[in-house]
Amino acid sequence: MSTDIRDRLDATVEGNRRLAKLSKDAGYVWGIIRGDTLATIGVVIILGFLFLALFGPMLAPHDPGDNLRGEDGQLLRTDSPTETFSEGAYLGTTNYGEDVLSQVIVSVRVSVFVGLLAALIAVFIGANVALISAYYGGRVDDVLMRIVDIAYGLPFLPFVIVLVFIFGSNIWNIVFVIAAVLWRDSARVVRSEVLTQKQRPYVKSARAIGASDLRIMYKHIFPNVLPLVGLYAAFAVAYAIIYEASLAFLGFGDPELYSWGQMLFQAYHSGAIRFAWWWVLPPGICLMLLVMAVFFIGRSLEEITNPELRH
Amino acid sequence: MKKYVTRRILQLLVTYFAFLTLLFVVFRIAPGDPTSMYLLEGMGPEQRQATLERLGVDRPLHEQYVNYLLQLLSLDLGESFRYGTAVENVIWVRFWNTVLLMGPAFLIAYVLGIGIGAFMGWVRGSAKERFGVIMTLVARSSPEFWIGLLLLMTFSFYLGWFPSGGMRETGYEAATFWDRYLSLNFLHHMFLPLLTGVIFYMATPALLMRSSMIQVLNSDFIEIKKAEGHPEYIILYKYAARNSILPITTVVAIVVGVALGGSLVIETVFSWPGMGREMVDSVMHNDYAMAQSVFFLMGSVVIFMNFVADIVYVFLDPRVRYE
Amino acid sequence: MTTEHTTETDAPPTERDDHMLEVDDLRTFYHTEAGDLHAVDGVSLTLDRQETLGLVGESGCGKTTMAKSIMRLLPRNGEVVSGSIRLNGVEVTELSEKQLREEIRWTEISMIPQTAMNGFDPVKTVGRQIVDVIRRHETETPKAEAWERAKELFENLGLEGSRVHDYPHQFSGGMAQRAMIAMALALSPSIILADEPTTALDVMIQDRILRQIKDLQREFDTAMIMITHDMSVVSENCDYIAVMYGGRVVEFADAETVIKNPRHPYTLGMRNAFPDISEDDQDLVSIPGSPPEVIDPEEGCRFAPRCPFAEEECWEVTPEPEQFPDGDQHVVECHRADEAEYLRAEAEKKETWLSVQEGSREQRLEELEVNDD
Repeated sequence: MSTDIRDRLDATVEGNRRLAKLSKDAGYVWGIIRGDTLATIGVVIILGFLFLALFGPMLAPHDPGDNLRGEDGQLLRTDSPTETFSEGAYLGTTNYGEDVLSQVIVSVRVSVFVGLLAALIAVFIGANVALISAYYGGRVDDVLMRIVDIAYGLPFLPFVIVLVFIFGSNIWNIVFVIAAVLWRDSARVVRSEVLTQKQRPYVKSARAIGASDLRIMYKHIFPNVLPLVGLYAAFAVAYAIIYEASLAFLGFGDPELYSWGQMLFQAYHSGAIRFAWWWVLPPGICLMLLVMAVFFIGRSLEEITNPELRH
Repeated sequence: MKKYVTRRILQLLVTYFAFLTLLFVVFRIAPGDPTSMYLLEGMGPEQRQATLERLGVDRPLHEQYVNYLLQLLSLDLGESFRYGTAVENVIWVRFWNTVLLMGPAFLIAYVLGIGIGAFMGWVRGSAKERFGVIMTLVARSSPEFWIGLLLLMTFSFYLGWFPSGGMRETGYEAATFWDRYLSLNFLHHMFLPLLTGVIFYMATPALLMRSSMIQVLNSDFIEIKKAEGHPEYIILYKYAARNSILPITTVVAIVVGVALGGSLVIETVFSWPGMGREMVDSVMHNDYAMAQSVFFLMGSVVIFMNFVADIVYVFLDPRVRYE
Repeated sequence: MTTEHTTETDAPPTERDDHMLEVDDLRTFYHTEAGDLHAVDGVSLTLDRQETLGLVGESGCGKTTMAKSIMRLLPRNGEVVSGSIRLNGVEVTELSEKQLREEIRWTEISMIPQTAMNGFDPVKTVGRQIVDVIRRHETETPKAEAWERAKELFENLGLEGSRVHDYPHQFSGGMAQRAMIAMALALSPSIILADEPTTALDVMIQDRILRQIKDLQREFDTAMIMITHDMSVVSENCDYIAVMYGGRVVEFADAETVIKNPRHPYTLGMRNAFPDISEDDQDLVSIPGSPPEVIDPEEGCRFAPRCPFAEEECWEVTPEPEQFPDGDQHVVECHRADEAEYLRAEAEKKETWLSVQEGSREQRLEELEVNDD
């Protein structure tokens, strides 16, 4: 009875302590980001895009698929903003008379969704492979690292295209396929960090008091490699967004959804690329801004994981 | 060192074998009826049967697997439906077109990237470094197709300085191999796609070199070299850069992989008749033999480059050499 | 350059010209966002050929900055702001970067880093690096001759000559240290700066190498500045010891005096942290707290916040250097240096040090008042 209460008390204390440490760590990370102008810009841009991802469809002035017509009833076919501004298409129209601005806003969702989810899955796989591989070592390590080697032997984009084509171009497949290729980076880098952590005294003492392998791996080692995992998660987000856009630009995107890559695909294949800057620039610039914002934050995280870079 | 190289060769073989198997699995055990992808609409039942038999896809999987390995290893790549001829008649020209575009793009990107990265590491903390880092991050944030589209819009459609696509003027018939690839016309067509590749692929080695350089510059031996009275440029190039390059070589193969993948996008934007565009088109048109062959070639190049990078590393780092 | 000090007899000999190295009121600051960090704040020292000077103090006290200022090898934000450094009659602070490279670095002053292994370029053979530095400064020396000299240097240090063709990672710690010393001697410099030269090695090898250095110093007519936080190393190997704290030399004397009869409470505290100096069976106590980052120096002794003997005066008046006759050039910066007997006795007790609660000037002053009542 009394031990039970003590255990629970201990757990609470432990929980509070961990919470305190977490908020302290978060404060520390935030401090570094605040002190880095680029990272602050990154955070602001990302918050902006997150807002658009959540409320985009409500904010878009038109339905992205609407074929807009002028006062004379004529379809507004690939018209520049100066001609369509009065019709409420502030960034001009596509070759079907669709509003570019609305499409750009609605497309935020796909990039953010694919970026976050694919990165999360990729890093989840990568970190677990890394932990298991480095912790157990020996044969397990050999086999898992050979698999990572093979993953590195696959040319990224062609592999993704083949998989997407075989499994079908819907957004879930795209997410899983991108994650299936992206996990290798975090696996390799986190593994070598786990190897160094394994040598630290805290692992030995945890083992000495009889902690289980799982407990040592996830309770003791994992928190120490978390900053590095975070860094590779940021990279994974950026690459996932780039690869989703590339897939869509090549014509393998989800046909049901609007995305920046798809907009550029349409602009390119309709020949509008020759003159319709209003149709090409907005999705491209948004894509670049979003990825750039992620890299800006990644740079800050890099300096947290590797203090030597902070000069 | 011998031990190291033998180990690497063994690993190369294992990796390559696994890659070939994966290729087989991906293309044969796809969901749905795997044989249907080899058939064209409008074929009669006998015709279908004949095609299936000719391709050997009606036999049991393990037999197909062995056949497949034997065929690939003898470089028999099968028949393309779209071209109605053996894949090898089409693919080698495409292969060289891609190598001639992506090879230089990759080399220039690496040399420039390492130079810029070394410089950024050297001037760390200055406004120059900040500017360099921002520009590199912007380049890295722009997917190849976006860089390509921007260059295309600006220099081809707006300014009219460069052709918008292809490898040479239509109607231009090259008399010899050298004429085909060394003419001014070819270089003129090559410039924009090459630049696209260089801009995007430069970012990774540049950023890596920068952080590697910063770490090397913090090490004791650089301090000693300064104390020895060597001029700054000697320390930068002879000592710091030489040591910083080590981690960059290990990612060569990864960047080659990314670059080959990127050829899909760049060749599509600039209508370059290479492997990448062929891959996109053949997947679009169900030409599986062609798609598989391109994938096979690309994977082989990446795995081989991985191996080369490992061996080069041994020569650059005596600590591994004398292990 | 190396012979200049013997020919410079035209000027009437003054105190200044007596020594090979004369550092006078040197100040080296690091420009930081928070302001100028006074890493070295008014240090004067002298050093002669074959002598060894120990610079002692915790890390952050300015000893490394002090040593690097002499060869003007400071980080980007570091600057020698005032004072003079005269080496063989040459004012080092006035030399251009090019002159420094050609006339001072390695030819006159060389250095040995803390871990010798890290002092070598890992991808070049050790011999190659010695040859590179010889030929950098003696451009007319043929390659083959430079290699011969590298081998001779190796043999001088008791290493096989053929090992010049080895890479640094092929050496053991002690061998790497010897190779580093060989490289440091390559151009027969006037001074070798050694930053904790043997801490990475085990005691036996440490001892042997230090003795070897002593012999070579005589053979090459070289002086040495040994930077360390380890009192036991300096006690055996140095002729003079300068104890640094907060960018100043707080106590200076011949080695024996500093070890046996120190007067500054900081020296007393440092001595406590190393058992084998005094024979007493005392507890090992390190001084609580850490050295200050001096940005805007206030009036008062810089050690006062950690000093168990600090009085009101210590907080309010900066102590001036005061000479004592009990040792060779014994100089101490402490208001209570004349109470040395009492301080020594008190400093041996563990409680003395544990009683110090580091605090702000106001808190500590308040405390003092309470105690007075």
